[in-house]
Amino acid sequence: MLALSLVATVLLMPVAARADVAEIILLLKTITSTLQNGVGQVLSGIQSIQNTVRNFEQQIVWPVTLINQTRASVQEVRAQFTGLAGQIHGIPTSSATLVNPSRLEALLRSQQAGSVSQISASYAQVYQVLPQPNQATASQRNLMDVDDALALGALKTAVVSDQASEQMLSVADGIEQQAAAAAPGSASILTAQAQTANLQNQAMLQRMLAAELRQEAARLAHTNALRKQSAEATRELRNHMQQIFSRP
Amino acid sequence: MWNSKALNQFAKRAWDVLKWKVVFVASLAIVLVLAPMGARGQFGLDPCCAMISVGLNTISGLLKNVVAKPLSSIQQIQQQAANFQQQVVYPTGAINSARGLAGQMQGQLRQINQLYRLPVNSATLPGPQQFEQSLLSHNPQAMPQVSQNYAAVYGTVMAPADAPQPIRDLVDMTDAEAQAALKKAVQLDALADIELAAADQINRQIQNAAPGSAPILEAQAAAWVVRANAYTQSAMAELIRVRSIDLANAGAQLKFSASDTNTLRNNTGQALGHGVQ
Repeated sequence: MLALSLVATVLLMPVAARADVAEIILLLKTITSTLQNGVGQVLSGIQSIQNTVRNFEQQIVWPVTLINQTRASVQEVRAQFTGLAGQIHGIPTSSATLVNPSRLEALLRSQQAGSVSQISASYAQVYQVLPQPNQATASQRNLMDVDDALALGALKTAVVSDQASEQMLSVADGIEQQAAAAAPGSASILTAQAQTANLQNQAMLQRMLAAELRQEAARLAHTNALRKQSAEATRELRNHMQQIFSRP
Repeated sequence: MWNSKALNQFAKRAWDVLKWKVVFVASLAIVLVLAPMGARGQFGLDPCCAMISVGLNTISGLLKNVVAKPLSSIQQIQQQAANFQQQVVYPTGAINSARGLAGQMQGQLRQINQLYRLPVNSATLPGPQQFEQSLLSHNPQAMPQVSQNYAAVYGTVMAPADAPQPIRDLVDMTDAEAQAALKKAVQLDALADIELAAADQINRQIQNAAPGSAPILEAQAAAWVVRANAYTQSAMAELIRVRSIDLANAGAQLKFSASDTNTLRNNTGQALGHGVQ
């Protein structure tokens, strides 16, 4: 047992660790060389790239002076044109001279959707009400009623559209105002909003276009209905004439 | 004597017992004495230590100059870039302000949408009322009713006995175009509703958008604008067709008049010719 322990001690005893001086110097030289060439040069390269990127971003992509100039330019364009456009848009275009037409015209150009309910009464004062059943045929009365309805529908839609246009102008103004204080990073949010407003504008335009389509179709249908009524009247006349001539 | 003998016996027994242990301890002592110890300089610094010291000093100098200085410079550049991005490119205040505007704008746009929900119907008689209801329904599924209600108000094509074939063709074509335009108007109203709903939803997203995600929403809104433009273009085409049919009707009317005049002239000529004979 003791012998075994002794053998183990001898075996486990550290052998004299002797490094050659030349090897240590070589190792230090290698580390030095790695620091100088491997690490130092790469870090120097990274520093140079970072510097270039910073200069590129600050001088080419987002130069502060140009950003400020652009903001000032937005303000300038806004001051120069927005007000002027607003003034032109605000020039009154009313022209009626008599009482009833003036009242109707005022309602039509009121830009107030709240006045839509008054339009029908004022319209009737200018364009008259439907004739009584004994004053016109049913088909004629239908024709007059639908003509009036589609004309009134288009006129009311125009009033609603005027108010919507005013609100849309206010939205555009708000976006422009924000643009004058925007940063490159926030401008994309404003652009997205402008695009959605643009989409809504398109929808409003389509509403107007739908009203115009109804109007044009009604005009076409009206003319066509007159042709049909004329044919019907001709047939009735022919029948009456035949009856007259067939009498003994 | 006895004591000396007993002592010897005791020593012998003790040696027998401890003999191997003594050998072991002695061997261990020899091994430890002979084992290599660290080399130490006897007079001043060991030349090997001096070289290592010079080498380590060189490495320390390199770490300071070659590594630490560029790293410090990189840190400074990164800090400046971060400040620039936070203060000039993506200032939080401007971003929040833009988001706030999206919230305000949504309120305004919803008000506009409400305006278009105001009733604009005006017909008073039953036929026109039903017709108007289907026209203003914003419901594409109500489109088949447009044709039925149209016939109730504007009538149908006259019977063959009541008008010449060219007139009947003209009347049928005109009715077809008028109905198509009216149906297109119903379609357009429904499409406008969908576009407004899409705009509302995109706008809601914009209120929570980041500068990096806003362009995606912008692209989506732009795509919808393109789509809406296409629908508008389609409606414009319908409008052009309606007006063209109106123009064509006016032209056809002139042609019918010319034909009728020609027929009248021929008939008159024949009648006068018979009279002379």
